Amino acid sequence: MSLAAIKPLVRRHAEIGILLIAVALVAFFSTTSDGRWANIYNFGTILQVTATLGLMTLGVALVIGTGEIDISVGSTFGMGALVYLWLAARVDPAAAAVAAAAVGAAIGSLNGLLVTRTGTPSLIITLGTLMIFRGIAIALTEGFSFSIPYAARKGRSFEILGGGEFLGFNTALYWLILLLVLLTVVLTAMPFGNRLLAVGGSADSAHSRGVRVGRVKLSAFVICGALAAFAGTLEAGKLGFADGSMGRLMELQAIASCVLGGCLLAGGRISLVGALLGAFVLSSIQSYLVVMGVAPQWFLLFLGIIVVLAAYGDQSLRQWALKK
Amino acid sequence: MTNGHPLIQVKNLDLYFGAFHALKSVSVDFHAGELVGLVGDNGAGKTTLIRVLCGMHTPTSGEVYFDGQRVEKFHPKLSIDQGIETIQQSVGLCDNLSIARNFYLGREPVRRILGIPFLDFATMRDKSTRVIRQFGLRDNVSADDEVERLSGGERQSVKIGRAVEFRNRVVIMDEPTNHLSVREREHVNELAVQLKKQGLLVIYITHDIFQVHKLADRIVIMENGEKIEDASTSKMTAEQLEEVIRQGGRVVERREALS
Repeated sequence: MSLAAIKPLVRRHAEIGILLIAVALVAFFSTTSDGRWANIYNFGTILQVTATLGLMTLGVALVIGTGEIDISVGSTFGMGALVYLWLAARVDPAAAAVAAAAVGAAIGSLNGLLVTRTGTPSLIITLGTLMIFRGIAIALTEGFSFSIPYAARKGRSFEILGGGEFLGFNTALYWLILLLVLLTVVLTAMPFGNRLLAVGGSADSAHSRGVRVGRVKLSAFVICGALAAFAGTLEAGKLGFADGSMGRLMELQAIASCVLGGCLLAGGRISLVGALLGAFVLSSIQSYLVVMGVAPQWFLLFLGIIVVLAAYGDQSLRQWALKK
Repeated sequence: MTNGHPLIQVKNLDLYFGAFHALKSVSVDFHAGELVGLVGDNGAGKTTLIRVLCGMHTPTSGEVYFDGQRVEKFHPKLSIDQGIETIQQSVGLCDNLSIARNFYLGREPVRRILGIPFLDFATMRDKSTRVIRQFGLRDNVSADDEVERLSGGERQSVKIGRAVEFRNRVVIMDEPTNHLSVREREHVNELAVQLKKQGLLVIYITHDIFQVHKLADRIVIMENGEKIEDASTSKMTAEQLEEVIRQGGRVVERREALS
């Protein structure tokens, strides 16, 4: 197959760039880490981190698909974790998880209503709510952490919600797969998905065809908020405790995952699988730096450099594919 | 032709964009089974007027009646539901979506499985390409291709095909023959007449008075947001109407002063 023959493939599948990057990094990490990175235990950890970051990323990708952005997800993640932990010690974890997701959806609808009703850019609105809900999380915990007593860390619903393993992997991974399939179907095979991408492609054109642009954007924010809070729930289930800083800076990782995964920030073109590959790449880098004994304070620096390089590589690939 | 109550009645319509007075007390009637040419220079208010009719703009004051009912809320969804199909000039297609997805945007055909609506891809592909091919879509372009890759004429053909497929009671065409070849242009003009003969109201917007005079029953001329002429094509020749456009409102004022 000649190089020119794969051009249409790259053009149609924005996730190919990140797939190549992921394959290259996995090969590099496996060969240079003397087995410390590439082992089943470490993969389990990477996939657990990918799962919670990935759930958040899926929601952010949907919002990016409408041409907006949600950077409040890190705080929503933290709020979800706190609501879950506070309730799980009192009621059934399943009910606590539903409540946490509902709080996330409420934060999402606040974002969505502020954006669609006031016409203010979502970047600044969600920057505001990022700070508001981080502030609330810190105030709620008052410098301490919320936790579930060890005695209560059992039972089927606790285990299903990130607190246990299935076939050797944390249950969060299965939630990620389930929601990836579900949202991919919604995005590609249902009218709502068609309208969501239309709104991101051209809000004016979608409006002229009778699409309720505001309603579509609001729905995306609600789904995004619920997913971020649910991701927080699964993380809280794994750790059993959380403090007010839970999920801090995760919003940046989620957005980076989307962009690396081929989601166009201008809207209208997103790849959910690509965004998850982006989350996987970020988690893998993180894990590599840990197993290689790189001091944590260097982590952000390395991550940033790799993100810039990967983004540049992906951009070059796409420009090449678009050339005739 | 002007018997019976009008299908669309516009009364004293004013529209401001900020301080800009885009429509100035416009009143005009449109009847079913009529082909009306809406003519005027750039910035005359033609597109603004039809964007009120298709629900994209809400007027500042004045009334619009559709089939005798006062229109209370303006939204494209409501207009489309009432059977007003519009071929817009600058909007209407999302570049990032395929032809089939654009064609059915907002009214996607679905198959329900357990009550959940799934897109009916087979219908979307087959019908959209079959309709659009008549208006100049190349054979090697498929319904799955993104609109971004189409030429100007092909983009126009998608919009026209869509209006034909979903026509109900009103088809509004804003410069429909832009970017089209001579043959495609004739096809679109024939189509406009054919739709009218089927009893639809067709509003045809253009700069070219000579082209539309041949097709239309009536010509409405706008200038600076005002209606300055509204005449049957059997009463006024294309040359006379062109004179009105050239002279602007002055000709009309003079004539009214004389009578």
